[in-house]
Order: sequence, then structure tokens, then C-alpha cells
Amino acid sequence: MIEPMLQVEDISVHYGRLAAVRGVSLTVGRGEIVCLVGPNGAGKSTTLLTIAGVLAPTQGTVTFDRSPTAGLSPEAVVRLGISMVPEGRRVFSSLTVEENLRLGTYGRSDRRAVERELARIYDEFPILAERCSMRAAKLSGGEQQQLAISRALLTGAKLLLVDEPSLGLAPIIVERVYDILRDLREKRGVTLLIVEESTERAVDVADRVYVLRRGLIELEGTSEDLADGERLHEAYFGFGAAGTSQETQQ
Amino acid sequence: MNSALQFLIDALSVGSLYALAALGVGLVFGVLRLVNFAYGDFITVGSYALIVPSASITAIVFIGNWPWPLLVIASAAIVVIVALICEYLVFRPLRQAPPAVLMIASFGVGYIIQNAIITIYTARPKAIGIWPGLTEAVAIGDLRVPGLQLVTIVVALGLLALLILFLKKSPFGVQMRAAAEDFQMARMLGVRANTVIGTAFVISAFLAAIVSLLFLCQVGVVSFHMGTQLMLIAFIATVIGGMGSLVGAVVGGYTIGIVGTLLQVLLPENVRTFRDAFVFAAVIIILLARPQGLVVTRAARERV
Repeated sequence: MIEPMLQVEDISVHYGRLAAVRGVSLTVGRGEIVCLVGPNGAGKSTTLLTIAGVLAPTQGTVTFDRSPTAGLSPEAVVRLGISMVPEGRRVFSSLTVEENLRLGTYGRSDRRAVERELARIYDEFPILAERCSMRAAKLSGGEQQQLAISRALLTGAKLLLVDEPSLGLAPIIVERVYDILRDLREKRGVTLLIVEESTERAVDVADRVYVLRRGLIELEGTSEDLADGERLHEAYFGFGAAGTSQETQQ
Repeated sequence: MNSALQFLIDALSVGSLYALAALGVGLVFGVLRLVNFAYGDFITVGSYALIVPSASITAIVFIGNWPWPLLVIASAAIVVIVALICEYLVFRPLRQAPPAVLMIASFGVGYIIQNAIITIYTARPKAIGIWPGLTEAVAIGDLRVPGLQLVTIVVALGLLALLILFLKKSPFGVQMRAAAEDFQMARMLGVRANTVIGTAFVISAFLAAIVSLLFLCQVGVVSFHMGTQLMLIAFIATVIGGMGSLVGAVVGGYTIGIVGTLLQVLLPENVRTFRDAFVFAAVIIILLARPQGLVVTRAARERV
């Protein structure tokens, strides 16, 4: 077993009286890529937002690098080394690209490391360097996703929470975004917990996959174990055989 | 020609005061979605800070006699302290509450401040003359302009420039702009909510003190409701400017200043007493034509 970096134990999250997540447990090992898949409204984003400290669980604990995050504000969770690449990217459209990138660095004291990392980001994502003084609103969707990922990295993150990185992007851009995410692990040793709607893509990119449906973990396994897809589909849709999935889509 | 210039200076000086007050309201609204109606009472506190707390009929001026840089700093410091206490005791616990709840709480805070002032100083207005030199006219060519008007314009433009510099160049400013656009995302990147909101209250309170002193210099009297009218106009300025836009707050402030001064000149003498009714009618017309305000923020546009 790889050393667990993030440990989520039996968390429940409520919106008012409605339970969005009901007793979810999952672990992410150092250097792993883990995918959380599930249909709309399964509680995937809720789980990520809870890990990020935005939502408070009504039950259960989140532990990162052996320290519990209970009661910590989002700004305190970032300082532990967890950073969010949110659904819809949420770049600050009225700020310049560089201001977006620097935003996550103000809480850091290692100014020299910040400058070095920023230079490396500009080196690896030349489009961001080229547009550094432009408003982020002017970037295309794929460029905004690069910005959102870079911005999260610059907080000094060891674990990235990535929420539906493919949402609203053209397929060819999605490929590029996933290449970037894989590279983060290869080149920087960053650990990733990715929320994804597509089971195929999850199995393709991740070491391990959790299937979340209606607030419950229905299935977990390594990507090799789940590669044939049948058990995945069953857990995802709540009934057997991939063939029936078409009915659900209609 | 001269009367046109005179009009311009009148309109700009009135508008400057409104713009500064509107900025104070707009800054806090931007990060907290709080329409702070206690802001008018922050303005009032800025003037009462100059006199010794007592129920005596005449004002016992203390800080008001200090040299002007010290006077400004002391008045601003007192307003800042009051604002931060309000933030800590009332607005911080209500941070997750809907904007309407925050607004009503601010009415409560304002009411408490007003009554505290009445209890300590009595409800009687008190005359304080600060900076008498400023009310003397300054000759520009063959035009004679009250020095206070020029000072008001220069101070407003100076503070605007400083604020722009702060928001564009300082890390605090960048964080405030980010928080105004998407507070939750900013926090997920490590922007401290308390720091950003605290900074907004400090700047807002500082502006309240400046508005208070300029206004006091003009009217010469402190009263417990002196800030109420200014707050109303500042609020309207932020609304017609476009809620959430600081540029809009400034534009709105100057718009009301110009419209008011224009009406003062154009209205027949016997209806001039009702000038404010005409100003508000103009505000309604502006809002009917542009319900989203004169300046629409990017964030607001994208939400639609």
C-alpha cells in the first residue's frame, strides 16, 4: 500500500436537510491519480468542496498528511497543500492572467521559490506567458483551464482536486488537458484527485477509481480491475449491463 | 464662460463628496454583499470624534484644534476602530447570511450608533468651525471660488488615484478585486476572508472620516443625523452606478452631483426648494433606462 496522503473517512454532507453525501470514505496515496466518477448529482463536487474546507461535513473526518482538517477554513486548507481546480474553471475574469497566477502565492513566504515556479509555469505554458498582462476573460476555454491548473499549482499544492476538467471543452482540448494532468505527476510528483463524468476516461487516466452514486460509494477498484467496464457501468447506473445504458441516456 | 466654470466647480465639488461616500459603500458591498446603512453613522462619528464627549450645549473642541494632519489621522482612526468593532461583533457572525439580513443588521447598527451619540452628546446640534481658512474665496483669474470646493475636488481625485493604485498594484488590492468577483474561489487559493473584509472596512471607514470632515467644514455643525442624508445619496449613487462596480460608484456620485447642481441652476426659483425631489425623479428615470446601472461589472454580466 502506498502511503495514504489524503484520508476521507465516513463523511456525510447536508445541504439543509438534504444529504448530498452519505458516509463516503476514500483514500488517495502519495503520487497517485484517483478518479471519482458518477452521474450528475452523485455528490462528487460536494466531496471535493468538503475536502477543500468550503463545506463542513455533518459527520466523518478528512485527514491530510496525518493532520485532521476539521474546522479549517478554505484558506487554511490551501496552506496544508491542497488546492482546487474547480468546475467551470472560475478564473478571475477581471484580473490579468498574471494576477490570477499570483493570487495563490500571497499566502506563501518562500518568495524565491514562487518566482522560480512562476518562471517554470510560463516556460511550460507559453500561451500564459504570452498573454500574462491580458484579462483572463479573453482566454479561450482550454487556455483558462491551463490557467486554473497553473494557479492551483502556484499555491504550493501537493494534492490537486480537479473538478470535471473536460466540462465545456472540445474533445481535442480535453486530450491536451489530461496530458497536462498526467505530466503534473510525472514531472512534479503532484498527487491528483479528479472528478470525471465519463467512466472510460476515468479508467484511462487513473490508477484507481471510485464510483459515487446518490451520495454513496458504489464501487472502488484499480483501473486494471475495472477495465472491462461491466462492473463500472453497473455501479454507475445502478443496474446491470452496459447495453441498457442507452435507455438511461434517453 | 465664467458662470459655466463656476457651475463646473460647484458640480465637481458636490459630486466629489458623493463619489467618496459612494466608494466607501461600494467597497464593502463588493466583498461582503453588504449595503452598510450604518455607513452614514460612520460619517457622523468622524465629526463627533473632534469634540470631547459631553452633554454641554456648546462643543468642547479637542481633536478639532489639532494641526490638520493629526486631526485627519485621529478622526479616521476613531472611525476605523468603530467600523472594525461593528464588523467583528455584527457583520462577521452574519457573514453567511443573505444580503437582506446583512442590510437590516446594518440598520440596527446605525440605530445603535445614533442613540449612543444622543446619549453621550445629546441630540442638540453643535457648532464646530474647523479650518476657517478654507471657506475663504480663492481667486482664479477673475473667478472667485471657495477654497473648500477646490480642496474637496483635489482630495477626492487624489484619493481616487491612491485607491486605484492600491487595487491594481498591491497584493491586498489584487486579493480584494478577486474576492469581489468570486469570494469562495479566492479563499480556495488562500486569500484570507478576514483580511480582505477587514481591509475593505478600514478603507471604507477612512473615506467616511474624510467625507465627514469635508462636510463638517462646509456646514459648520455636527448633529447625530448628519450622515444619514449623505448615506442615502451614496447608496443611490452606487445603485445608479451599478451595484458592485467601484467605477460605477464614482460615476454615480458625480452624476448625482452634476444633476443636483444643474437643477439648482435651471429650476425656477419657486420650485427650487423641491430640488431633491427632482434629483430623485432623475434617478428613477436613469434606473428605468438602465436598470443594471450605468457601469455593468463583468461578474454581473456573466451571471446573467
